[in-house]
Amino acid sequence: MNKVNKYVNQALEQIQSPTEEREDIREELLSHIYEAKKHFMTEGFSEKKAEDKALEDFGKANNIGKDLQEAMYPFQRSFLYIIGIAMIVYGVLFYLNATFNLQEIIPSWLAIQFAFGGAVTLCAINISFVGRHFYVLHLVMFLTLMWNGFNFMVVEPLPAYGNNVFFWIYLAITILIGIIFIFTNSYYSTDIPKHKAKNGKTAIIISYFLNLILGMMLITFSLFLTWVILIFGGFTWPLVIPLIPVVVWLIFYKLQMRLIAKKPIISIFTGLLVAVLPLGVIYLLFSL
Amino acid sequence: MNWGDFMTLKFKNIIFISGLTLLFLILWGISLLADTPQGYSGLGATTDLSPDDQVIAFSYYHDGDASLYTVPVTGGRAELLAEPEEGTSYINPVFSPDGKNIAFIKQWDENEEPFGELMMINIENESIDELTSEGNHVTDAAFAPNGKELYLLQSSVYENYSPIASEHPHGFDIFHLDLKTNQIEQLTNEDAYEMSDIAVTPDGEQIMYHSYRDDDILAFYSLESEMENAFVPKGADLKESIISSPALADDGERVVFSGVAGEDGNYIYEGFIVDLNTKEAKKVTSFNEHVTSPVFFNHQNKLLVTVDENFAGAEPANGYWIIDLDKEDSRQWVEIKMSEKES
Repeated sequence: MNKVNKYVNQALEQIQSPTEEREDIREELLSHIYEAKKHFMTEGFSEKKAEDKALEDFGKANNIGKDLQEAMYPFQRSFLYIIGIAMIVYGVLFYLNATFNLQEIIPSWLAIQFAFGGAVTLCAINISFVGRHFYVLHLVMFLTLMWNGFNFMVVEPLPAYGNNVFFWIYLAITILIGIIFIFTNSYYSTDIPKHKAKNGKTAIIISYFLNLILGMMLITFSLFLTWVILIFGGFTWPLVIPLIPVVVWLIFYKLQMRLIAKKPIISIFTGLLVAVLPLGVIYLLFSL
Repeated sequence: MNWGDFMTLKFKNIIFISGLTLLFLILWGISLLADTPQGYSGLGATTDLSPDDQVIAFSYYHDGDASLYTVPVTGGRAELLAEPEEGTSYINPVFSPDGKNIAFIKQWDENEEPFGELMMINIENESIDELTSEGNHVTDAAFAPNGKELYLLQSSVYENYSPIASEHPHGFDIFHLDLKTNQIEQLTNEDAYEMSDIAVTPDGEQIMYHSYRDDDILAFYSLESEMENAFVPKGADLKESIISSPALADDGERVVFSGVAGEDGNYIYEGFIVDLNTKEAKKVTSFNEHVTSPVFFNHQNKLLVTVDENFAGAEPANGYWIIDLDKEDSRQWVEIKMSEKES
């Protein structure tokens, strides 16, 4: 790999663009660098020197990549870093508080907390990989949101864990940033067809908004049901039941992301159907 | 070349994952040095008063195991009556009508299933008799007024009736125990979902207990007709039809129980007295806390109640209080001094 390609690849590592957009940026960068190289060659520099000069003029590859990322996907990577690191810090504080103040040693909880916090931070580090796999990023963020919601609604209110206001506020802020990230990232990740660039854009935004609201309502309901089962039944097999509609919704959302971009209005109805149907099934299951 | 250039993506990932794993191991290691949970230490919820109203019998938990104690009703140093072996608790003490014995439940868990046997201790020589044999689920007992018989509640199963409910003792019935022959006879075939807080009316003709049938109920079982008469206490201050730990007065005409009087995130339980003629319940305490396990004095118009100041918390913070029913808002804390080991 020559120096220029290596430089461009390094810049692209900082950008979450999908494959097609990434290739466009690559071409754009390459053409600018070659143009600058040509310019320096006309000024009398040797080819190798002109290439070095062009790259030097462009600045550090990482910085170029970071600037492009911020211009195209503002705050997205920062959100990921904030959420991931906030979860790791929360894990440390909550675990130490539970261990030394409440005499509750919960390494399995810490392992899950670190797994989610670590996964989100790894998404931030490997932004170029997750950018090419938007659904993976969505999945990680939804599961993280669910875990934080579980901590907020189920773990933190348990008397054994202290019912601590500081932890509650901390979690609420982390959840809020997570929700903002999911909304904005869903929108940025939409491959909006060119002919829909103006009018269609509003419909897509509305469709994303409604679909995500439905998904979050479903998750909240599932967490509430989990809390009820945990309070009355402890760790029993029916705890799996509230997870089923969430899993169905998460799988469905992969297809839905494509549909939202193509048929935003129709996707509102399919979203409604998939969010409400599992609730009906759960209701029937429990009423039998 | 700065640090950012040196850190390739692969290197960053390895450093981050290794760092996080190391942090996890360090925290886990630190927690192994912390004190492990010891179990609850403090006063038990249920108490009983001696027939002359001079002595309180109660349980005190030490690291999760409850021993039996007595203390003067005016407070003071507690006296250890019986200490169980590790993993076992002595709970729900009841004085015999002559005040010479205390019946109680010996409780322990096997594979998370609670077992309960009825025991009796002679206060004077501290000898303990096991009144039921191994492997029972006795939860509660009450002396007949003649002091020669005991009525007990026993569950037949320990399971969850609904998949989203946790396992509990169910299938309750009332049993009769003749202290002379030690013969046990089953009196009812209710197989009830729940039965607790058994008491015998002063005439010895009825058994009172608390049960649940869509609502919490107070039930009276006639030993002669074998019929049950049940009702749900009502009252302006009773905010929910949840009642717990009812106890019968010596006149047989009033029942005191713990009921919901309000809410502040958790339910606030106060003491209520229900007149058995009118079925009307009236609030008699104002702690704004969790009042539980009230008992009537035998010769005075007073109550002894347990107040948990950490209701719904990780561990209860129980204290015993005396309420004078003839005076408004009259309450007196029973200060109990435990030996160094307990306190």
